[in-house]
Amino acid sequence: MKASPTWPIHLVLILVSAIMLLPFYWVIKTSLTGDNIFAYPPAVIPRNLHLFYYVDVWYFIPFLRYFMNSIIVSGLAVAANVILNAMAGYALTLPFQGKGFVIMLFLSCMMIPFQATIIPAYLITGYLGLLNSHLGLALPLFSTIVCIFVFKASFDAVPRSLIDAARIDGLAEWRIIQKIMLPLSRAAIATNVILAFTWSWNNFLWPLIITRDADLQTLPLGLARFLSYHEDTTGALYAFCIMVLAPGILLFLMAQRDFIHGLTTGATRG
Amino acid sequence: MASLAGLDRRPGFFGREQVRQRVLIWCFLAPSLLIFLAYRILPLLWNLLLSFEEWSPYRPARWAGLDNYQEMLFYDDVFWQAFWNTLIFMASAPVGIAFALGIAVLVDADIRGRDAYRTIVFLSYPLMTVAVGIIWRWMYDERVGLINFVLRALGLIGEPIAFLQSFAWSLPAVIIASIWQILGFYMIVLLSGLQSVPRELYEAAAIDGADAGARFWRITLPLLRPSMFLCFVIGMLNSFTSFDLVYIMTNGGPGHATELLVTYIYKLGFVQTKFDTAAAVTVVLFLLLLALTWAGNRATGGDAGAVERG
Repeated sequence: MKASPTWPIHLVLILVSAIMLLPFYWVIKTSLTGDNIFAYPPAVIPRNLHLFYYVDVWYFIPFLRYFMNSIIVSGLAVAANVILNAMAGYALTLPFQGKGFVIMLFLSCMMIPFQATIIPAYLITGYLGLLNSHLGLALPLFSTIVCIFVFKASFDAVPRSLIDAARIDGLAEWRIIQKIMLPLSRAAIATNVILAFTWSWNNFLWPLIITRDADLQTLPLGLARFLSYHEDTTGALYAFCIMVLAPGILLFLMAQRDFIHGLTTGATRG
Repeated sequence: MASLAGLDRRPGFFGREQVRQRVLIWCFLAPSLLIFLAYRILPLLWNLLLSFEEWSPYRPARWAGLDNYQEMLFYDDVFWQAFWNTLIFMASAPVGIAFALGIAVLVDADIRGRDAYRTIVFLSYPLMTVAVGIIWRWMYDERVGLINFVLRALGLIGEPIAFLQSFAWSLPAVIIASIWQILGFYMIVLLSGLQSVPRELYEAAAIDGADAGARFWRITLPLLRPSMFLCFVIGMLNSFTSFDLVYIMTNGGPGHATELLVTYIYKLGFVQTKFDTAAAVTVVLFLLLLALTWAGNRATGGDAGAVERG
């Protein structure tokens, strides 16, 4: 076949990339600039860059407290997810009675969006005495069906003979997970960490419902609260946005290769 | 079964070992099952019960039959507005999927820097939606937003448009922001679908004289069905769960022009403490989702099982 020129492809993709990146550029520019934010026409190239707005956010908003709350809740969710999903995913690679039923149950649970269960979920959390607590914030995110199947797909790819050999050597099942399965499932773990982290880190509706104390609020809540109370301090609002987005972007850029690989092999086999 | 191979050699212990193994399997499954029971299945059933009751946190429950549904379906204009808005939101999913398919085909080509393009397009997906909503509020700003600036610079509009305060523009504006955020996810799913299409099929078709267009319509598209279905499901879930974006960008306004079922449920339940009415709206939301998933599955050839066959 003759090689066709690639520049039209690049042209379209550069345009698409620009559309995807321009909002970030605009917000970063605004958060860094000393120009009058409400000037028209807005300056496309920023002048007088400074970090005043970032300093404002750091000192005048309890940023560190929101951040620590987010870290605690996300940390709980990520740890629980990797452990529980690996266990469940491993169980699904073994033959047992009722396996088809469990798989159907998991798949039908996937069709129930969390948003469709918020009222009873709120009541249940109340009966468990977990309203207004870190554990209550994290508990509904402790296990995710997608990640169970990502783990299952990854474990299925491990040669059976390896596992059988380990069993004959008398290794307990949970040691098999720990010593054989997990070390061979880097992409699945990365996928799980990123998914669980982004879901809990970005989660907004659930914390909005179950937290009362300002002390327990996570970053998205802090951001929404700042938006509603201080609509005039635009520069600081965008600095806050960037400070909130940065950890997620960094984590994603570090782990994207494993993440995208794990996501695509787990999600669309067959 | 193969996994019990090690045990077959010790028939004396077979029975006991098998029981032990079975207990262990259920112990491994139990924590996840409990979480899903407490936060998916039980809430769904409880929600159904609530929708038939007259209930608030301050009163004992009373059986109300279809009262909540009657009020919702016949007397509540906001419910219907939220209902149609949610449908419009969902109808926009194929637009996003079509765009993503175009991009996926381009970044599947053997060109330099394609990993960079993939990363850039995907980047917006894992971001915190609250922050994305704030960014897009700014993009749509009447005085200094980038969109008004570009449109005016290009001479397409004379006066700036207050997109998010406009009855006509607010819903499309929110939908565009939503597509912007989910585009990368569609692209990745479709890309993995594209890469699983056997290359020999294209070669054989090329030998038979099929041009690029025919190869795309006759080979690529049919074989992408499972991926398209997955995108469709994710897109619908996204339109149900776009609470964050709507809450931040418009909070359902102006009036109820961007009210979705999910924002309305939140307002009914947690602002007005009308948990029973909110439960009835939730039942509608869930039935709508089921119906559309079923229809989507039919439309893409009924091979949902191929997406996630355990």
